[in-house]
Amino acid sequence: MRTWTYDGTFEGFLTALALALEGREECAVAREGAAEPGLFGDFAAAGADPERAAAVRGLFERRGSAESWHHARYAFLSEAPGAEDAVLAYARLIKEKGAAADDMLADARVKRVHALSASVAGEAHMFKGFVRFKELADGTLYSRIEPDHNVLPLLTGHFRARLGTFSWVIHDARRGRAALYLKGRLLYAPLTQAKALEFDGKEEQVQALWRHFFKTAAIKERTNPRLQRRNVPLKYRANLTEFE
Amino acid sequence: MDLQKKLEILADSAKYDASCASSGSSRGGRGTGAAHQSGVCHSWTADGRCISLLKVLMTNDCIYDCAYCVNRRSSGAQRAALTPDEIAGLTFEFYKRNYIEGLFLSSGITVSPDRTMELILEAVRKLRKEFRFNGYVHMKVIPGASQELIDQAGLWADRVSVNIELPTDKSLRLLAPGKTKETVLKPMDRLARKIAAHKDERRSIKSSPAYAPAGQSTQLIIGATPETDREIIKLSEALYGKMALKRVYYSAFVPVMKDNRLPALTNPPLLREHRLYQADWLLRFYGFAADELLDERHPQLDLSFDPKTVWALNNLDKFPLEVNDADYEELLRVPGIGVTSAQRILRARRAGALALDDLKKLGVVMKRAVYFVTAGGRYAGIKKESEEAIKVKLLGHENPNGQLDLFSEGQLVQEGLAATVTGQL
Repeated sequence: MRTWTYDGTFEGFLTALALALEGREECAVAREGAAEPGLFGDFAAAGADPERAAAVRGLFERRGSAESWHHARYAFLSEAPGAEDAVLAYARLIKEKGAAADDMLADARVKRVHALSASVAGEAHMFKGFVRFKELADGTLYSRIEPDHNVLPLLTGHFRARLGTFSWVIHDARRGRAALYLKGRLLYAPLTQAKALEFDGKEEQVQALWRHFFKTAAIKERTNPRLQRRNVPLKYRANLTEFE
Repeated sequence: MDLQKKLEILADSAKYDASCASSGSSRGGRGTGAAHQSGVCHSWTADGRCISLLKVLMTNDCIYDCAYCVNRRSSGAQRAALTPDEIAGLTFEFYKRNYIEGLFLSSGITVSPDRTMELILEAVRKLRKEFRFNGYVHMKVIPGASQELIDQAGLWADRVSVNIELPTDKSLRLLAPGKTKETVLKPMDRLARKIAAHKDERRSIKSSPAYAPAGQSTQLIIGATPETDREIIKLSEALYGKMALKRVYYSAFVPVMKDNRLPALTNPPLLREHRLYQADWLLRFYGFAADELLDERHPQLDLSFDPKTVWALNNLDKFPLEVNDADYEELLRVPGIGVTSAQRILRARRAGALALDDLKKLGVVMKRAVYFVTAGGRYAGIKKESEEAIKVKLLGHENPNGQLDLFSEGQLVQEGLAATVTGQL
C-alpha cells in the first residue's frame, strides 16, 4: 500500500490527501518521519502543490460544507496519531455522500473526525483562559504554553482583539514555535529556547497579588480537589502562574 | 495597609457570591480587551469553582447587620477599602496578563447606598474611560441607591445584579433588618425595564449605546432559612419570566457567622444546591415548568435522583419514547438525554433510522435512558417497568458494589461534591 508523506504543513497535508484520493487503490497519509516504511510499504513524498491543496479544500467546502472544512482543519491540528488517515476516510465519505455525511453522527468515520475536531476546539477554548502573560522589561507580554494539540493558530485572533495595543509572544514550547505579535503585525517563527527572560520590575509583585487572590477566593468549607483537577488538569499547571 | 492585605480582605468577603459568568456579551473596539460571547474560565480554585473575574468588594465596611453575612456591622472582621484607582489599576494589570476576563465589583454599604453606588460607578468609569477597558464588567447594584445612580450602572457594565439572598420577605425581616423584598425588587424591576427599552431602541438605531448587554442576575442563599425548594424554584421561574433575568445563582449557606437566628449546619448543603441548579436548568433549557417538578405534596427536590428522573418516574405513561419519531421537546424530557444529544439525535435521524446501539455513540447516557426509550421499536430496559423497579435499577448503577442502599447518604453526597455547580444533566 502506498503512503503519501507530507512535510508537516497544512498545505503539504492537503496535497497528500489529494494524491491519496486520486489513486485507485487504498492509500495512507502520514507525516514525514512519523511512520517507518514496512517491508512492503511504498512511501512517496507528496510535496506541496497549491492547486491540489485548493482542490481538496474545494471538495470539503463545496461537495461538503463549511462545517466539513472546519472539522477537517481542526482534526488536522489535533496532531493525534492516525488523524491523517481519519481525515482521509472522512474525505472519501464526503466525496461519496456530500454534505449529508456530516449528519451520519453514528458512523465511525464521521464520529472520529468530529471528535478530534471537538477536542481541538475544546483545548483552544481552554487556552483562551490558560494563557498566562508575563511582562518583560521592554513591555512585551510573554506566555509559554504546552498544549496537546496545535492550538496556537486558533488563539492569535482572540488575543489580537484583546491585546492589540500591546506586543506579545505566545510560545508553544512543546512544538518549538511561537506566535509573535509585534507592533501590530503577527508572524509565526520557530522558537526552541527562549533566552533567559528579563522581567519588568512590577511583574513579581503583580504575580504575588494574583496568587494571593487565587488562594483567597477558594471557600474552605467547599474544598474539592477532584473537581479542581477535572477542570485544571495537572498537565497544564506548570505554566499557570497561580500554581507555580 | 498594603495592597496585598486589602485585596485579601476584600476578595475573602466577596467570594460567597456564586456568580462567575463572563458570558453573554461581545463587547470590543479600540483600547484593551473584549468580551467573549460564551465566556471564558481562567482558572479553578481549590473548591473547584471557576475564576473568570476579579471578584472583590470596594469595601467590607457595612452599615447593615445581616445575620448571614461575613461583613455585618456587628462582626469583628478587619475592615478595608480599595480606592476606585486601585480597583481599575488592579483589573487592568490582571487582565493584560490574561488572569481574568474582567471585573466583578460589589461592596458593603459604606456611609449610604448612594455613596456606595457612586464609588462603584467611579471605579468602573475610570476603568472604561481612563484605561479604555473593553473587557467584561459585572456590577452590583446597591438596593436603596437613587434611581439616577442605578440607571447609570447599565451604561458601564455588561451585567448588573441585585442579590435577593433570602427567598421570602419573612426571612429577610428576620435575618436582614433594614432590607425588605420591596427594596430588593424595586431596583431589579427598574433595571429590567431599562434593559428591555435599550434592546428595543438598538433594534431600530444600531448606534445607540448598549445597556447591560449580558443582562441581569441574582443570588439566593440556600439553607439559611426554612423555604422549601418549591418556593425557591417558583421564585426563580417568576424571575426568569417577569424580570427576564439571565441567571439565578444558588449559594449553599456556609455558616461563617454564629447567630441564634441561623441553623446550626455542619456542612453547606451542597447536594441540595446541586439539585436546585439541575431544576433551574430544566426551567431554562428543557422546557419544564416549576409545577411539573414540585407540588404541594412534594415541596422538596429528591436528593437521591435528579429532578428530571423524578419527573420521568412520575410520568411513566409517557414512556418509553420512540427516538425515531419523538420531537425535540419530548427528547429533552428523557433522563440521560441532554440538549447536545437531543440535537444530535434529530440530525442523525436525517441520515437514517437509529438503533439502540447508535444512541450511545450520539452521547446519550444509556444507563439512564435505557428505561425510557425505544429505537425502531426495540426496548432494552426492564420488562415490566414500574417506578420502584426502575428506581432500584438506577440506584444500583450508582453503587459500584451493586448493593442497594437507598439511604446511603455518603454515596449521594459524593455525587453532589463531584458534580460541577453548572447543574448540567
